[in-house]
Amino acid sequence: MSRETKPKSNLDKRFDLIRDREVFGYNPKESGNRAFKKLKSNRLAVIGLIFVLAIIFTSIFAPLFTKYNPQKVDLRNMLKPPSAEHILGTDKIGRDIYARIIYGGRISILVGLGSALGAALIGVSIGAYTGYRGGWWDSIFLRISEIVMSFPQIILVLLLVTILGQSLMNLIIIFTLTGWGSLYRMTRAQMLSLREEEYVQALRAFGLSRPRICFKHILPNALGPIMVNITLSTAMFILQEAGLSFLGLGVPLNIPTWGNILNVAQDLRILQNYWWVWLPSGITISLFVLAINFVGDGLRDSTDPTLHG
Amino acid sequence: MFVYFLRRFISLIPMVLVLSFLIYLGLELTPGDAVSFMVPPDQIANLKPEDLEKMRDSLGLNDPFFIRYLNWLSGVLQGDFGYSLASGVAIKDIVLDRLPATLELSIAALIISSLLGVLFGTLSALYRGSITDNFFTLFGMIGVSVPEFIFGLIALVIFALNLEWLPVGQRLLPGYNSYWDHMPHLIMPAGVLALMMTAGVMRYARSSMLDSLNKEFIRTARSKGIPEWRVNFVHGLRVALIPIAVLIGFRLPMLIGGTVIIEQVFQWPGIGELFVYNVRSQNYPLVMMIAFFSVIAVLLASFLIDLVTAILDPRIKLE
Repeated sequence: MSRETKPKSNLDKRFDLIRDREVFGYNPKESGNRAFKKLKSNRLAVIGLIFVLAIIFTSIFAPLFTKYNPQKVDLRNMLKPPSAEHILGTDKIGRDIYARIIYGGRISILVGLGSALGAALIGVSIGAYTGYRGGWWDSIFLRISEIVMSFPQIILVLLLVTILGQSLMNLIIIFTLTGWGSLYRMTRAQMLSLREEEYVQALRAFGLSRPRICFKHILPNALGPIMVNITLSTAMFILQEAGLSFLGLGVPLNIPTWGNILNVAQDLRILQNYWWVWLPSGITISLFVLAINFVGDGLRDSTDPTLHG
Repeated sequence: MFVYFLRRFISLIPMVLVLSFLIYLGLELTPGDAVSFMVPPDQIANLKPEDLEKMRDSLGLNDPFFIRYLNWLSGVLQGDFGYSLASGVAIKDIVLDRLPATLELSIAALIISSLLGVLFGTLSALYRGSITDNFFTLFGMIGVSVPEFIFGLIALVIFALNLEWLPVGQRLLPGYNSYWDHMPHLIMPAGVLALMMTAGVMRYARSSMLDSLNKEFIRTARSKGIPEWRVNFVHGLRVALIPIAVLIGFRLPMLIGGTVIIEQVFQWPGIGELFVYNVRSQNYPLVMMIAFFSVIAVLLASFLIDLVTAILDPRIKLE
C-alpha cells in the first residue's frame, strides 16, 4: 500500500514508460527502420542508390573532379579523341566532354528532381485535400487532370514550349504542369480508401479541422507510394529533358546538360566519326535512369505492406 | 449495354468542348493575325487595309469572343481546320499528307512489340525465377531506362553508317514509289520503337499470365491430363490475352507522342517530325491543331477500349 502513495521519482516514470512500451510491443527505433532494412537487403536497389548518390556528389562538386571549364572554347583542340589530357576527348569547338558531362549533371538532375518535387507538391496537396473532402472541388480537379492526362505527354510539353518559350525555369514549370496528374490520381485514390478508416472518424468526432486531419493524420499513411512515384517521376523527367534537348527544344543550348551534349549527334558526320562526343553522355543518362529505376522498384517493394514477408 | 455505351459517349462531349475551347483560346492568344489562318496568304497580299477590315467583318473576326469560338468550332466540325502560317496550305491537307507515314511506322512497331512482348512475357511467367525470367526482367528495365533516341543513334551508326545495310533515313527516295521500296527504310525506326514498347507489353503480359496461371481452371485442366504446353498456351494464355489486348489497343493513339523523337532521328516524314518542325518555327495554328487531333484520337481510343472491355466483361456496365 505504501508504494502506491509514495510519489514516483523521474527515473521510476521513465522505467514505467519503457516497461509499458515493451508490453505493447512498441519499439520506435525498430519499426521506423523496417522499410529501410528491407531496402538494404535489396542488392540492386543499394547499388542503384550508391550510383545515384555518387553521380549527384560528382556533379555538385564538379570543380573538384575536373580542371576544365565546360563552357571554355579551345579552337586548337577541336574533336580530339580521348587522351590523358582530355579523358573523354573534346567536342566540335574544343570543349572538354568529361567536364561537360559532370557539370551537365547539375542541370539535368535539377530539372528531373525539381520537376518531380514540383509535380508532387501540386499533385499531392490537391489530391490529398480534394480527395478527403470530396464533392465539387474533387470533381473539378478530377476533370482537369483528365484533360491534362489525355494529351500524349510530349505533345503537350512541346505545345507549352511553343507558347511559353525556351528556358530552364520554363522547362521545370512545363514538366510540373504536365506531370502532376499521375501523383494527383494516386494520392486521391489513397485518400478515398484511407478516409473511411475508423481513426479518421474518431478525429472528426474530436472536431479537428479538415486540413489537419488530411495532411497531418492521413497523408503520412500514404507516403510510401508517393515516395516511389516521386523517384520514378524523377527518372521520367530526366529522360524527357534528354529527349527535348536532343531535339534542341529543351534547356537552351548554351547551358550544358546531358541532353544538350547529345544534340550534336543529329549531325551524321559526328555520329559516325566522333563517338566520344555523344556516346558517353548517352551512357551516363541511361545508367543514371536505370539506377533510379532500381531504387524506385526497391522502394516500392520495401514500402508496400502487402509485400511484407 | 446500349445505354452504357450511349452514356459513355455523351460523357465525352463536354471533354471535347473544353479541349476545343482551350485550343481556340491558345490560337487567339498566340501571335499571328487571325485572318492569316483563315484565308490563304496569297490572297491577303493583294488586299488593301480597308478591304482587310471588311473581310474581318464578313469573316466575323470582330464578333464577340464566344461567337467567334462557335464559328471556329462549326468550321472544325465541317473539316475546316485553318491554314498553316508558314506555307498557307490547308492544315487538313498537310496532316493528311503526313498521316500515312506515321500510321505505317506506329502500326509496324505495335505489331512487332505486341508479338515479342507477349512471347517474352509468357516465357517469363512460365519459367518464373529462372535465368530466362531474370534476363527478360533486366531487358525490361533497360527498355524503360534508355532513351529511345540513343538506341536509334546506335542502330544508325551500326547498321546504316558502318555496315551500310540499311538507308540512313527518309521514307522514300525520289523515283521509288512502290510500297516495298520503303520497307528497308522502315526497318530501323520501327525496330527501335518496337524495342522500347516491348518492355512495357512484356511486363504487363508477365503479370497477366501469372495471374491466369494461378486460376482454378488451370489446375482442373492439368488434372484432366491435358498436355502441359496445351494447358499453358491454350488455356492459360487465352485468358491472359484479354487485358493485354486492351493495353495494346490503348497504345495506338499514344504512339503519336511516342513517334515524335524517333521520326526526328530517322528523318521519317510523319506527324511527329512535322510537329517538331513547326514547334521550332513557331507555326502556332499547325501546332495547336496537331495537339488537338492527338487528344481527340486518345479520347476516341479510350472510348473504343471501354466498349471492348464492356463486351468482354459484362460486370463493368453495372457500375
